[in-house]
Amino acid sequence: MGYLATGNEMSLTDKLGILTDAAKYDVACTSSGVERKGNGTSVGNCAAAGICHSFSSDGRCISLLKILLTNECIYDCKYCQNRCSNDIPRATFTPDEICTLTMEFYRRNYIEGLFLSSGIVQSPTFTMELIYRTIWLLRNKYKFNGYVHVKAIPGADAELIRRTGFLVDRMSVNLELPTAEGLKALAPNKHRKTILTPMRQIQNGIEENKNELVLYRNAPRFVGGGQSTQMIIGATPESDYQILNVAESLYQKFGLKRVFYSAFVNVTGDKALPALPGGPPLLREHRLYQADWLLRFYGFKGEELLDETRPYFNVLLDPKEDWAVRHLEQFPVEINRAPMQMLLRVPGIGVKSAQRIVAARRSANLTFADLKKIGVVLKRALFFVTCDGRMMYPVKLDEDYIVRNLTDVKERVRFGSDGMSYRQMSLFDDGNFARPLTVTEQLQVAAGQDF
Amino acid sequence: MYTLTVYRCEDSLESIFTAIYLSYEENRDSRDTCMVLHDEPILFAENVKVEADPVRTIKVIRTLKRRFGEDDYLSVCMALASTDEDKAQAVYRTVVKGLDERYERGHLFDSLADEYVLKTFSLARGAGREIQHLKGFLRFQELENGVLYAKIGPKSNAVTFLMPHFSDRLPIEDFVIYDDTRGIFGVHPAGGQWYLLSGEESGERELRLSEREMQYQELFRHFCRTIAIKERKNLKLQRNMLPLRFQEYMVEFRQKV
Repeated sequence: MGYLATGNEMSLTDKLGILTDAAKYDVACTSSGVERKGNGTSVGNCAAAGICHSFSSDGRCISLLKILLTNECIYDCKYCQNRCSNDIPRATFTPDEICTLTMEFYRRNYIEGLFLSSGIVQSPTFTMELIYRTIWLLRNKYKFNGYVHVKAIPGADAELIRRTGFLVDRMSVNLELPTAEGLKALAPNKHRKTILTPMRQIQNGIEENKNELVLYRNAPRFVGGGQSTQMIIGATPESDYQILNVAESLYQKFGLKRVFYSAFVNVTGDKALPALPGGPPLLREHRLYQADWLLRFYGFKGEELLDETRPYFNVLLDPKEDWAVRHLEQFPVEINRAPMQMLLRVPGIGVKSAQRIVAARRSANLTFADLKKIGVVLKRALFFVTCDGRMMYPVKLDEDYIVRNLTDVKERVRFGSDGMSYRQMSLFDDGNFARPLTVTEQLQVAAGQDF
Repeated sequence: MYTLTVYRCEDSLESIFTAIYLSYEENRDSRDTCMVLHDEPILFAENVKVEADPVRTIKVIRTLKRRFGEDDYLSVCMALASTDEDKAQAVYRTVVKGLDERYERGHLFDSLADEYVLKTFSLARGAGREIQHLKGFLRFQELENGVLYAKIGPKSNAVTFLMPHFSDRLPIEDFVIYDDTRGIFGVHPAGGQWYLLSGEESGERELRLSEREMQYQELFRHFCRTIAIKERKNLKLQRNMLPLRFQEYMVEFRQKV
């Protein structure tokens, strides 16, 4: 099979530059989900939680060699810089170049593995075959035993996707946009149905493989790290509520491991795209990730966080604080007696802290000082918990009062390194303190505590 | 008369485990016993100097693994790999509590309300975090003779924990990890068992790198620079996630030669 002729004249450095730049908006780049020991005869193993090898100047983790096989593309999606109507330098890697780069980077401990995607060349099936051949080479000739994440091309032959699934640790299909209407407006060559078909195929493949593994422990694994997907946030006018609904049903109906949210960056300047003068919607993306974690680890349901009357996230409060403040009838929570599900709902108590609290309170009654050492973020939790019936400071369980304190601009200055607040008094203070006392401090004075 | 027995240990896992064994062998009450790493005199104390003894160390290791499980045993080792001067006492009292109150496997660190358990837990967590960071941030350079050489400058004694991970990952490679702060080499011959050597790096002589080493370093630097999305530039976040003290040893943060 001949490869595209543009490959060979360009230097490896230039190709790497072009094809890394082309792949950088695909954020689905973790190395987690698979625990695999080395095989003793070749290079590579996988850590269950994944390993972050570096961080780029935008603060994101670099874990895999994230590249496109080629940035040639026959599609013309309006948001993508690789669209066929865009005049940019195009490049293509040969399979050996990809394999060598992966192996050499891996043995120097620069990366955990490979993340391979591609522009669409000739047809989805042709492209998928190129990807399959590259990964086959990597696993069988170069004997790479580390992490491989590959994109499944929607519309490609099912048999190719199936075979590739046995060579990789994670496979993903990008949803691109949260709704079918959005997709139709911005990516006319892509259709919702063609995207969902391989997702369903991979999901079924994983299920079947789990059953096979029960019967025969050494059966080859199909997509051991699970499936993930990505949505672009802010390119189309869907509300947070709609996006969260899509994410929730993806987790429930397709058994996805992760959904990724990518804040829209306008690289093409197409007139169908919003201008976004304030830059990419980073806060929105952050809130979506916070909500995503609440769905997966904290037992929340989407409808508890957002609904039709409130379709957007609170800018000042994170989704958990927001829920707590709207449900003050459930608080305060008694640390030494409350069930795990209720502990998880307290702002400032995460999954690890909740587990530690439950373990520690079996042998001793916990105090606020213990909570601080365990890792609870007291400056948020203090409004919602009691230890043996007492709150840390007398607090009114009133929505406005709590919101004001949670969002207080100076709240970071208020608390000292051990969670208590101190201010050095001086003989020369004339009572005109530099700033007005906060509500907490007023109450402390009333209660006779020093501060 | 009340006497406090003070075991004076060296800063090594073997020495501290030997001290724990001795305290049980000599039937000491844990409330009257204390383990320290320094030499300052303590009033009304009976001093016992501890010599690390391999036989006793192995017995303690076996007991810990059997009673508390592999994970908790590793946590105790990580706590001892940290640089806190009260680690010996914290670990001693944690182990005593675990043995006396018959904690089950995997539950040694449940009662975090106890100050010694909490201290051991925090030390283990701190060292564990650094080891996890180093698994990602450690960089090998290929030398002329094909050996992969890495240098790190960790706060805790991490080489012992990194060697198993990399030996499993790179079984067919010769590699060496050098701890700059302590002068310890972790050596792994291809296809063989890894071991530790203590010594100093030989002078300030430049490492003799292989021909293509600089090419791959430059490719990786190019990759790291290109993959950043400039609209999301956030150097503060990058520094939070990747503390400066690691950056010193990482190729992508060095300027082009």
